[in-house]
Amino acid sequence: MARTLAMFTDVSLCIGCRACQVACKQWNELPAEEPEWTGTYQNHAHFTDKSYRLVRFIEKKDDKGQMQWHLMSDVCKHCAQAGCLEACPTGAIYRTQYGTVNINQDICNGCRYCVSACPFGVVAFNEDTGRASKCTFCNDRIHNGLGPACAKACPTESIQFGFRDELAAKAQKRVAKLHEMGYRNAQLYGEDPKGPLGGLNAFFLLLDRPTVYGLPEKPKLPQSNVFLDSLLSIGSAIVLGIGAVVAFRERGGQGNN
Amino acid sequence: MEPGLLKSADWPFLIDLYFFLGGIAGGAFVIATIANMLDSQKHRDVVRVGYYLALLAIIPAPIFLIIDLGVPSRFLHMMTVAKPDAAIGANVISIGPFHLKLLSPMNVGAWALLGFSGCAFLAALSVFLEDSKKTGSLSGLRMVVGIIGGVFGFFIAAYPGVLLGATARPLFVNAHWLGAMFVAVGLATGGAAIALIMSSMGVRARDARSRLMKVTAFALIIELVTLILFVVAASGVGSAGISRALSVLISGQYSVGFWLGIVVVGLLAPLALQFGGAIRKANPGMVALVSVLVLLGGFLTKWVIIGAGQVVLS
Repeated sequence: MARTLAMFTDVSLCIGCRACQVACKQWNELPAEEPEWTGTYQNHAHFTDKSYRLVRFIEKKDDKGQMQWHLMSDVCKHCAQAGCLEACPTGAIYRTQYGTVNINQDICNGCRYCVSACPFGVVAFNEDTGRASKCTFCNDRIHNGLGPACAKACPTESIQFGFRDELAAKAQKRVAKLHEMGYRNAQLYGEDPKGPLGGLNAFFLLLDRPTVYGLPEKPKLPQSNVFLDSLLSIGSAIVLGIGAVVAFRERGGQGNN
Repeated sequence: MEPGLLKSADWPFLIDLYFFLGGIAGGAFVIATIANMLDSQKHRDVVRVGYYLALLAIIPAPIFLIIDLGVPSRFLHMMTVAKPDAAIGANVISIGPFHLKLLSPMNVGAWALLGFSGCAFLAALSVFLEDSKKTGSLSGLRMVVGIIGGVFGFFIAAYPGVLLGATARPLFVNAHWLGAMFVAVGLATGGAAIALIMSSMGVRARDARSRLMKVTAFALIIELVTLILFVVAASGVGSAGISRALSVLISGQYSVGFWLGIVVVGLLAPLALQFGGAIRKANPGMVALVSVLVLLGGFLTKWVIIGAGQVVLS
């Protein structure tokens, strides 16, 4: 396996220009969609099969009652333990040698299990093709040394792309600096490979708690339930089987024949 | 989990119907197998009806699943692709072009459906051949097929619950009892479906009806217990998102279906009738009524729970 590639999004640098969103649409030839009124400048409300990049505009009052504007360019996290990849019954979702997670459109049969298995609501179903789709980190570009279109387009380097270990070191320095500057709530999200989901290959520097950005505090791999749920099902089957045996074994029952 | 971000697969009515029929097929097969093992002569009618019903209920299953796919012609990709990628997940067993993904209940379920369908076909065939006197006793073969198919049958009834539990949907993410509950629903609806058919068989089937009512009543009790555990497990987590998802089920959009459909029609009413005489007297009219209630309740259980789990919270 090649060295893991990753994306580091520093929300403290994001100006909400949405160049990343446009670049993503252009490179991936994703058609335009009807805009939605979400109450802020954010468009759309969620990732769609035609929007793999999404700048979130979050309005929040701080302790003094002053309005704060949180901007965050969100994307598929390419989780080290990916719910979509584990859920996929066909093997269409696979991990590349760079550690990214892709959906092979030649294999996907449109069962949509991955859509409900993503802890971040990233994967979307494309009604036109009948297949699931999501960000690939611009698979064609990164295999040719170009880096994803969004990172290339970002004018403030809020989105950076590179080797994971190098970016993680950079991110740690940056968060320490922000703490010095008085941003007490600044924190890294998904940078720790020992953290939830084995770390995210698209990790973030946030200026507030993850829930402010709509991110789960501790995302969980949905498949971590499979073992316990199966065990309980087996227990239930055994109890029910015994019950049925008793009912059919009893002498006579009613109306002896 | 923060519900605001999450998406839903939006599985339609067809999938609820498949889960319902899979439960009936699995439950009926298990009951037929147990009856066959304990006394194949005395319980001959139960064995016959149970195995035929299991086959009939499972025949439409793959059709529903295939119609629902975005690319129906690729249904075989559930089990095999020409060139599987090497890195398609943890705990994957790949043999040539075939793949078994142990952490993907949908993939394992597809294999189980194949195995179960084969067993259901062979069991029904053995009953048919014996009845038509084309062969001698096939009890040895039926015993083997019955045991293997019985395991698959329980699996087919249970796995939809495990499948839902392995999603990020807030209602399911911490509720570990769905699979256990679906096994009970499967056995109850399978028993009820056999009993419904046997309610047309008059006095001859009275003993069988009484036993089937006992099995069904026991399964309903287990269903009630696991349903309570499911709600308690979901509500005990303390996440605001999960609480909101749960309120869709028990006090919101799906609450009528939950309380009236699942609890009253599907559980309390049939249990009252069963202990009020359906088990003891096993008269055809009452058994038929109980069976219809159990079947209706079984369908509503799948429809309401899956529907409530798929509601996207803003």
